[in-house]
Amino acid sequence: MDHILEWLQAYHDGELQGCQLQRVEAHLAHCENCRTELKSLQAFSALLQANPPATNLTRPDRFVAQVGLRLPPRSTQTALQRALETGWRLVPVGLFGAWAFVQTAFVVVTGILLAQNHPLLASLFTSVLPPASDVSWLTGWQCSARTGLELVRCFMNYVSSLVGLIALGFVPFVGIGLLYWGWLAGWWIRQQGRMAYAE
Amino acid sequence: MTITAIPEETELQWIARAQKGDRQAFGDIVHHYREGVINVVYRMCGDANLAEDAAQEAFIRAWQNLPRYQRRSPFRNWLYRIATNVALDVLRRERDTVDIDDLPLAASGSDLEATVECNERVEQVRRAVLALAPPGRLVLILREYEGLSYKEIAETLNVPIGTVMSRLNYARTKVREMLAAYLEVG
Repeated sequence: MDHILEWLQAYHDGELQGCQLQRVEAHLAHCENCRTELKSLQAFSALLQANPPATNLTRPDRFVAQVGLRLPPRSTQTALQRALETGWRLVPVGLFGAWAFVQTAFVVVTGILLAQNHPLLASLFTSVLPPASDVSWLTGWQCSARTGLELVRCFMNYVSSLVGLIALGFVPFVGIGLLYWGWLAGWWIRQQGRMAYAE
Repeated sequence: MTITAIPEETELQWIARAQKGDRQAFGDIVHHYREGVINVVYRMCGDANLAEDAAQEAFIRAWQNLPRYQRRSPFRNWLYRIATNVALDVLRRERDTVDIDDLPLAASGSDLEATVECNERVEQVRRAVLALAPPGRLVLILREYEGLSYKEIAETLNVPIGTVMSRLNYARTKVREMLAAYLEVG
């Protein structure tokens, strides 16, 4: 017979529900050993609970007054502290704004460079912007190399330009990401500090 | 010793006012939870005077941290968490100076009825509970004397429910072994 000793304490404490509760009750109905163990648990709890609580205590109103006298004044934050606290809470919003700004700038600059190299749109920019730099890597690999060595050099230039573009685009995002994770870590540390203080 | 229930709305009002610095509202909180907090600490350290001092300390810590209290868990659990940590601090402080055998009797003084109740069985039970290691003792006290559920104990002590169950099982087994004579007779 499989006894249910491991569930008896939970049953005794009223922690079982549903099928588990029914299973334990069904088992207890026909198992003398488990019923004896349950009675022993009940007797144990009764024995513990028969022990009186603390006696000869200070009267409640006196105790409350004593606590009241010992209560320290609530620390009030100065205007600077409140401003710093608000600033700290707004850091994620600022980081999101920075991310949006970088993203927008990246798209706009890329668009301008592409437009400058477009035959129809280039004329629009010549009057307001300096001549376009060599951004052939943006519009596609345009290489006039004829020999093998020139072809390799041209390809290397293309790759390095592409890597440069990707790095240029990703560095700000990585930086913003790191700052955000740093803020999250700081927030977590502050929370832990508060909990430890409460304890 | 379970705490008498009060309407949740009343408790919320006390908390909200006390969070804003209302000492009168905090006094109501202290008055309401005083007995429960003192008894948790008393069952932990076995000395009523020590327990009262520690309970005051717990309420002061609660006052200092009340502005940061959020109703993610019941207020009683939050308060008991502070009280149990103060009790553990007291035990650490007193470990080198207090011995279980040196503690005053559970009921001493001129109260005749209390003195009669202070028999050998009461003392043996008290000493058996005090002989447990603090983690198991805390779980046993919160369950047997304060009537907290496993979930509430887990929240109060910030441990998983499985840990609560294993500590309770261990504590009960140890204390039952120590009190076997009384359980056989009674």
